[in-house]
Amino acid sequence: MTGTVESRSPEPLMALQLPPDHPREGDWRECEGAQGDPILEGNGIRWMAPTRAGAQRLLDHLLASGPELRSLAPAERARRLGRAGARFLDSRDPLRREALHHLPHEAGLSPPAARELLDRMAGLWTPEILQRLLDAEFPSPSALDQFQPGPEDHRVRAEGDAMALHVGAGNVAGVGATSIVRSLLVGTPLLMKPGLGDVVLPVLLARALAASCPILAQGVAVVYWPGGEPAVLEELALAQARRVVVYGGLDTVASLRRRLPPTTPLVAYRHRVSAGAVGRERLDAVEPARALAGAAARSVAAYDQMGCVSPHLIWVEVGGAVGPEEWAGLLASELQRVGRDFPPGPVPPERAARIQQLRGEAELAQAMGEGARVWASSDSEWTVILESEFGFAFGPGGRLVRVQPVPSLEEIPELLRPYGPILQSLALEATAGRREALADELGRVGVGRVTTFARQPWPAAWWIHDGQGPLRALVRWTALETDTEP
Amino acid sequence: MGWSPRGALASPNVSTATGDSGSPVPTAGAEALRRRLGALMARGVDPPSDEAGFNELALEVFRYQVQAVPVYGRFVAKRGIDPERITGWEEIPAVPTRAFRRIPLVAGDPARAEAVFQTSGTTGEGGVRGTHRIVDLSLYRDSLLPMARRYLHPEGGPLRIVALTPPPVERPESSLAWMVGVFVEAWDDGGGGWFAGPDWELRLDPLKATLEEAAGSERPLLVVGTAFAFVHLLERAREEGWRTALPTGSRLMETGGFKGRSREVPRGRLYRELEALLSLPTGRMVNEYGMTELLSQCYEPVLDGRTGPEPEERFLVGPPWLRTRILDPDRLTPVAPGTPGLLQHLDLANLHSVSAILTEDLGVAVEGGFRVLGRREGSVPRGCSLSMEDLLRARDER
Repeated sequence: MTGTVESRSPEPLMALQLPPDHPREGDWRECEGAQGDPILEGNGIRWMAPTRAGAQRLLDHLLASGPELRSLAPAERARRLGRAGARFLDSRDPLRREALHHLPHEAGLSPPAARELLDRMAGLWTPEILQRLLDAEFPSPSALDQFQPGPEDHRVRAEGDAMALHVGAGNVAGVGATSIVRSLLVGTPLLMKPGLGDVVLPVLLARALAASCPILAQGVAVVYWPGGEPAVLEELALAQARRVVVYGGLDTVASLRRRLPPTTPLVAYRHRVSAGAVGRERLDAVEPARALAGAAARSVAAYDQMGCVSPHLIWVEVGGAVGPEEWAGLLASELQRVGRDFPPGPVPPERAARIQQLRGEAELAQAMGEGARVWASSDSEWTVILESEFGFAFGPGGRLVRVQPVPSLEEIPELLRPYGPILQSLALEATAGRREALADELGRVGVGRVTTFARQPWPAAWWIHDGQGPLRALVRWTALETDTEP
Repeated sequence: MGWSPRGALASPNVSTATGDSGSPVPTAGAEALRRRLGALMARGVDPPSDEAGFNELALEVFRYQVQAVPVYGRFVAKRGIDPERITGWEEIPAVPTRAFRRIPLVAGDPARAEAVFQTSGTTGEGGVRGTHRIVDLSLYRDSLLPMARRYLHPEGGPLRIVALTPPPVERPESSLAWMVGVFVEAWDDGGGGWFAGPDWELRLDPLKATLEEAAGSERPLLVVGTAFAFVHLLERAREEGWRTALPTGSRLMETGGFKGRSREVPRGRLYRELEALLSLPTGRMVNEYGMTELLSQCYEPVLDGRTGPEPEERFLVGPPWLRTRILDPDRLTPVAPGTPGLLQHLDLANLHSVSAILTEDLGVAVEGGFRVLGRREGSVPRGCSLSMEDLLRARDER
């Protein structure tokens, strides 16, 4: 509703990309479910489902692709994956154009925001970055796939799995494609079930691999099916995958965990929330305070606050030259300004409805004399709510930020303690010494990443993703021990 | 559907809660307004349209509320609105339903309210419940009976009430239970009853016995319940292979939605399954739209044939003392006719709280009334950011 967005896709995308040598004739039929289903229609998606035999043939194919995939050295996999991934950065490449054609509509972002998202995400899929990711994750690059000296007299080797199932559920666009890159990088063939809102990039990445590197492409299938309904492919893949990676809400994770064989590891990237905190020492003059507000506004605006790294709540320490209320006002004007470069995507009426409720409630809290205040665009584009009470709560997304005064940043870890399992990133703007001491406490209560507003929305390829390294979460280690003479 | 199920009453003394005496109505002006509203309600729900009369009364009610509900007065002042200067009821600023969760929107001393109705505790964030303090219960009764008579019981005469709700004495914070209590008092022939316990769990065996006994009689029933209760009834009946036939002339009132519940059933399917279970035509099933924050209700005019029985034909109508506007969710300006938007009500029965209420419900105006649109759960992209509901679950389940 907000913003002038050319968000209608002329034709729906088929949410299916099978390995090049895997014929789908006879085994797959297009599902009618999308027709008349406002959710799928709204997301511009068509999908196909296999017969039971077809589903098994696909899993067998993926399993069979593993040895050849692992016959490529990790560095070679990184190079080839990066060559396909970097195509999304090349403005002359039809693949990038196709991605940008679909992305705004499917991800609910404005075209400039979708472009920035693609630039940032695909910026992590280049040969150079993927090699640096390998180097960052393994003590020696060849420890992936080969025995290398380990602790004491052990020799150790990391390797991928025979086959994995990756499940996206309501992702931010880019997450699914990144998951494919990670899996192939460690040498694991995978079935990727993309989440609504993140179908286009996995499909296009798999297509790019098919065009440039059949060995990698044989190891990935992208198949969408609606969650929560019986699907034969899901049933078989859950039983046969050697590792399951899921991005999703609590219900999705719980449901998968229940249905997995006890021997199958589950890597769960649950939905999370992020926040920010500003120390008084960063608020000693208006201009630096405004610059900080600008960075915070960019972090809020990225993904329209739909990312697990998006801040919803910012604590501002009292006692600076710029106080919490003044800073909230700066944040409001910066959100207004960011909206000119990166307008929000369409605001669904359900979200606008909640935003109006929160704005009205805050106005009444102000009328109660509770020290609340609201800054808001004339439409539902952005909202800043200053609250007098220090606490943990957040809104429906849609660039709605709560600002709360805090007497001292050192109170934040204790406040966050009950929420440990759902915390993601905290942008902490304070002196280095305070950041270090606070990070110590914050990590203990569950914050996986202490960052800055500028870096918050765009984590590096080698970031600690929900408490672990992105590739180390996907490998098994083998130790080789030998008797030593006493 | 998104409206909240209604709640109960602080006073257990439901059957005598006519409220004619001893209501802590704050001022003489308020008493005059109460009398005028009472007279308006007594004229029934089909009087000739009187827009000018409604507008005048609405503005007077607004001016009273600005004085009597201090927080609302400050809210209005901050918006820069002078209550003496506005000329149309559409200009009256609305408060969001959510504000009832923690702000005392009530005239006079909150402790003197005759009843405290609360939204269902199972919905919303962290179980914080919307609270509507009712200064004058008799106004609720005066408002609800003419509408219920007109849309649930137009032919009059004795009726047997089968309530799939707990009795108001067990859920004193439920405005729905209280409302059904008024139906029982007004119409029940003594053979009906309450068939849900204090946790709203169905008492299936006595319910079946009552329905089976009724099946052999000529006394029509009014079966009242939430959509969720009816879904439960259908599930249990299916497990047991049980069905019955309600007496001719029976009717069913269904209210509330599935918000926050694990299962949702499209209304068309719910009604068809109830038709098969109870041998009651879907044209005898009436949806009621109400919420704790409003003392008036809207009904589907289906019993008199103004709307057909199919879900897509149905629409809701409100009483003459309620107006519903459809607003653009982004800017809160009126939408073009036929465009969906947010429902905002002006309910004069909310005399002693705030009349202008902005809901979170989406709806659309149609000829003769309005429709509430179902929420498109899952259709709103949320990315991998956690919802507030999930956050509280994650915290509380540990």
